[in-house]
Amino acid sequence: MRTVLKVVDNSGAKKVMCIQALKGKKGARLGDTIIASVKEAMPNGKVKKGKVVYGVVVRAAMQRGRCDGSEVRFDDNAVVLVDKQGQPIGTRVFGPVPHELRQKKHVKILTLAEHIA
Amino acid sequence: MRLEKCWFCSSTVYPGHGIQFVRNDAKIFRFCRSKCHKNFKMKRNPRKVKWTKAYRRLHGKDMTQDSTFEFERKRNRPERYDRNLAENTLKAIKKIDKIISDRASDHIKNRLKTGKVQRQKEARKQLELGIHLVKAPLALAQDSSLCLPKIKVNVSQAQTEENQPMED
Repeated sequence: MRTVLKVVDNSGAKKVMCIQALKGKKGARLGDTIIASVKEAMPNGKVKKGKVVYGVVVRAAMQRGRCDGSEVRFDDNAVVLVDKQGQPIGTRVFGPVPHELRQKKHVKILTLAEHIA
Repeated sequence: MRLEKCWFCSSTVYPGHGIQFVRNDAKIFRFCRSKCHKNFKMKRNPRKVKWTKAYRRLHGKDMTQDSTFEFERKRNRPERYDRNLAENTLKAIKKIDKIISDRASDHIKNRLKTGKVQRQKEARKQLELGIHLVKAPLALAQDSSLCLPKIKVNVSQAQTEENQPMED
């Protein structure tokens, strides 16, 4: 709630603010989907400012435990905008993404990513 | 399962330990414990922090070049499982570990050898000069093997003249 995340695809938005975390009482973590409101957008983009969108958290500054016991942490909080079905709106993804997305069935984002951490 | 090296202190990170930090340029930093992680966040250079392997190797405290380091090289191609190979590798790992630790301790011993010899020399000299603190003068007089060495001290006239104005 109220967390401002960076948008790392080319859907047009620059910053979104989380308004709800789907699935999870304690909040969304790395790999979870959120509902967000676009706060800052590029002038000619697919999404405009003020629009309510779905997003997948691809980078989180909070560490998330992996099944082998290690923990991963990223440098910032970033999100990739998706539609209700989970398909990304944009066509490119910037920066590293975790391979937790594979388990969450966000394969399309993984294929678009330039680096999988 | 892979045993990684801590980015800061170069110790091995076993599974279930430590934190992996992924920077936005996709460079991965692995830390063995929060001590190394916190030092990294403080932007400390491991080459300047005395207890890290990077510092020790850079300043010649630990051995840097050895043929045994080839065994620990990162290999990205997975080997087909062969029971004999696995068994032999496990035996070899034990032996190689012993060899590495022996060579490393030898390196440190050689490094500290010169200091030890120096200190022994100094101790001997000190004992000779200060034998009167250890043995009573009567015992020294009776036992001629422990006599005080004759010390020649040069007293120059110029020195005493300089001291006089200071005392006033």
